[in-house]
Amino acid sequence: MNETDSTSCSPTDSTAHRPPAVELSGIWKRFPGVVANAGAHLTVLTGTVHAVLGENGAGKSTLMNVLAGVYRPDEGEVRIDGSARHFRSPADALAAGVGMVHQEFRLVPSFTVAENVVLGAVDRIVRRQSIESAVGDLAERFGLATDPVRPVWQLSMGERQRVEILKALWRDARILILDEPTAVLTPGEADELGGVLRHMADDGRTVVFISHKLHEVTGFCDEATVLRGGETVAASLPVNGTDASTLAGLMVGSAPMASERPPPCVVGEPMLEVEALSCLGDRGLQALHEVDLTVYSGEIVGIAGVAGNGQRELAQAIAGLRPTTGGSVRLGGTDLTTSTPRQRFIAGLGYIPEDRIGVGLAPRLSVTDNAILRTYTSHRKGPFLDAGAATNHCQDLVDRFGVRTGPLDEPIAGLSGGNLQRLLVGRELSDHPQVVVAAQPTRGLDVQGVKAIQDLLVAERGAGVAVLLISEDLDELLMLADRLLVMHDGRVVAEFNPETARRHAIGEAMVGHVATGAAT
Amino acid sequence: MALVVGVVLLMGSGHDPIRVYERMFDASLGGSRAWSVTLNRAVPLGLAGLAVAVAGSMGLWNIGAEGQIMAGAIGATWVARIGEGWPGPVLVPAMLAAAVVGGGLLALGPAVARARIGVNEIITTLMLNEVALRLVQWLIHGRWKDPDSHGFPLAPMLPEQGRLPNLFERAHVGVVLAGVVIALFGLAASRTAWGYELRVAGSSGATARYAGISLQRKILTVLVLSGGVAGLAGGVELTGASDRITEGLSNGFGFAGIIVAALALMRPSGVAAVALLFGAVQIGGQSIQTMGVSSSVSTILQALILFGAIAAGVFSRYRVEMVSGDAAEAVA
Repeated sequence: MNETDSTSCSPTDSTAHRPPAVELSGIWKRFPGVVANAGAHLTVLTGTVHAVLGENGAGKSTLMNVLAGVYRPDEGEVRIDGSARHFRSPADALAAGVGMVHQEFRLVPSFTVAENVVLGAVDRIVRRQSIESAVGDLAERFGLATDPVRPVWQLSMGERQRVEILKALWRDARILILDEPTAVLTPGEADELGGVLRHMADDGRTVVFISHKLHEVTGFCDEATVLRGGETVAASLPVNGTDASTLAGLMVGSAPMASERPPPCVVGEPMLEVEALSCLGDRGLQALHEVDLTVYSGEIVGIAGVAGNGQRELAQAIAGLRPTTGGSVRLGGTDLTTSTPRQRFIAGLGYIPEDRIGVGLAPRLSVTDNAILRTYTSHRKGPFLDAGAATNHCQDLVDRFGVRTGPLDEPIAGLSGGNLQRLLVGRELSDHPQVVVAAQPTRGLDVQGVKAIQDLLVAERGAGVAVLLISEDLDELLMLADRLLVMHDGRVVAEFNPETARRHAIGEAMVGHVATGAAT
Repeated sequence: MALVVGVVLLMGSGHDPIRVYERMFDASLGGSRAWSVTLNRAVPLGLAGLAVAVAGSMGLWNIGAEGQIMAGAIGATWVARIGEGWPGPVLVPAMLAAAVVGGGLLALGPAVARARIGVNEIITTLMLNEVALRLVQWLIHGRWKDPDSHGFPLAPMLPEQGRLPNLFERAHVGVVLAGVVIALFGLAASRTAWGYELRVAGSSGATARYAGISLQRKILTVLVLSGGVAGLAGGVELTGASDRITEGLSNGFGFAGIIVAALALMRPSGVAAVALLFGAVQIGGQSIQTMGVSSSVSTILQALILFGAIAAGVFSRYRVEMVSGDAAEAVA
């Protein structure tokens, strides 16, 4: 099964006689109700950048957590540099030279870069200056530009990631695992990271790179292993000899990459009119600069952009969850600029927030309590809530939107991500909105969940609803949107027709390079 | 568990554990007189616990029930002073209403500070405890000092019509009152739209804003209400169990209320039962001091029993959370 011979075209021929840096074979890992890894295997040669590809839920993170000592496999063997290992903890793995950079950073915000890097890895009293200069040297050696004396809370996400990588390097990790490292980066930062990883591989270290973005894999990885449904479907494919569509095909299996575009829309009246809308971001900086946009009934307008360019703030400002500093929001001609979130909902604005749990859903409350979050004022008998009506409403949502759930009076914590989103989307759509603002509605869902949510949005469009779809998934936008707007630095910088637009031009607009004439 | 550890402790201090336990039980739950004393003790514990739980169900910590009890007693005493000669059915309700207002007023400052500019209510309510205690001292050493007290710093006794009538044995009407108030809050928290909003706000502030609930107003009303309930505890304690306002009136009930609320998992409906258990333990603990068991041993014994109850609560929940935690990992 391990086609190690297919890797002979690896660029690091000098390592061909040594055992592979990582050999995972027959890894099984089961969680209650879920098999995350079903006999997965992975072989990574020393001195290479190896991509592990797969869709959400394919078992990539679980497999990496097994390799990094976070999980113990139910079955299977872990070999590092040829010898079998049984990691009891991440510390064991680190001692064997395996370090992992997790998706969520594990840094102390009030500590400096240097303090974070050495935290837990110095066992005696040391001079601050010597540590700072040592961390600075390490950073320079690998091209990870950071200022060791700055506190972490001041750093951008890209810089924090560099600190995480430095942490692993400080602990002398020879095998570095990065779990979807580019999810938090701008395209420029992602390219830079690619360079750093290449440099580390050339230095003799081994990099395992988890991603579901194909262009990154083809950009700077040597080999790729594809997981699907917890199994390895292709091991150690040389990236140079494989084209992206083959990899994509392996990732999604027999399912088509993208379903057909929905039939052309029948555009009606302007429903959502946003004029010169400005607001501040969380840190008090201007996040939206006089954004104008109009969504007509019966169309889906997509908003594309690199995360952090004002999309989140735009959705919140329209929904009434973020105070505006200028401009107006109108829904079907009614001015909602100063309305409360509840008034906007009653006026016909459904909002699917980016943070499902914690904004759209209350984590500790029951399914029913969450189902009536928007409409509880109408399920009342005097001061009392009408429990019967609430349960009926909830049951209705669960049935209509196919939410798989246990008892309705149990907390929603037991629902899977896809079912939580079905409940949330169903609730927002059930009161017949005229406008739906959907922020990242399919992020993190499995294939079925994505399809279900997309179909719901398309059905709304068919029913004459104006849909504003904010997504980081360009494929989704190109498939669903009737018009595509690109945001950069808090402004709408370009508009494209998704059927004729060139990806390259959209990508340029996302980083702020708008060629004159490209915007229409 | 706690009782076993207690045996070791009692043997170590030279007492017969069986007799001590027997005495504790007899004094707190053996017979109607014992029950009446325990019930009286459970009243301020229950109301203080309710006060903490009302705030706690929204994720707020009212650590100031101790001071709010005092403020309530001040309010009630003030009404008793200006209402001399009023008939009991008028005077007592007026005193209790003033107690609610007094406790609420003391909580108003922290409530406004928290709602408007986000000042941590734990610190402000805690500091006001000291203020309320000093206020009582200042009053009974000065303006409210009884001219007939031979120089002792004592407030005058309350008039007879300013006392809560008795139910049976020692138990006063405050038992019924506390039960009704706790039941009302329990109902409000679980069945009304107001309670629903409270639960949403307690679960996630961002979700509450999304649902159109004004967090500022909610924080303000909940903290003031919490103070008012604690004030009522002070009013009931004053009119029911004490005969005048003293420095020791709050007697740690406000702090014990935090434990009561925590054991009741911040659910108003659970407060009554926990307060009763707590009251019985306290009364039982006091009774054995007459047997020569030192007060510290009795306090340790009380603490052990409560630890046992907490541990039982934690372990009964822990398994459930372990499973859901694993499931959550699996989904991720």
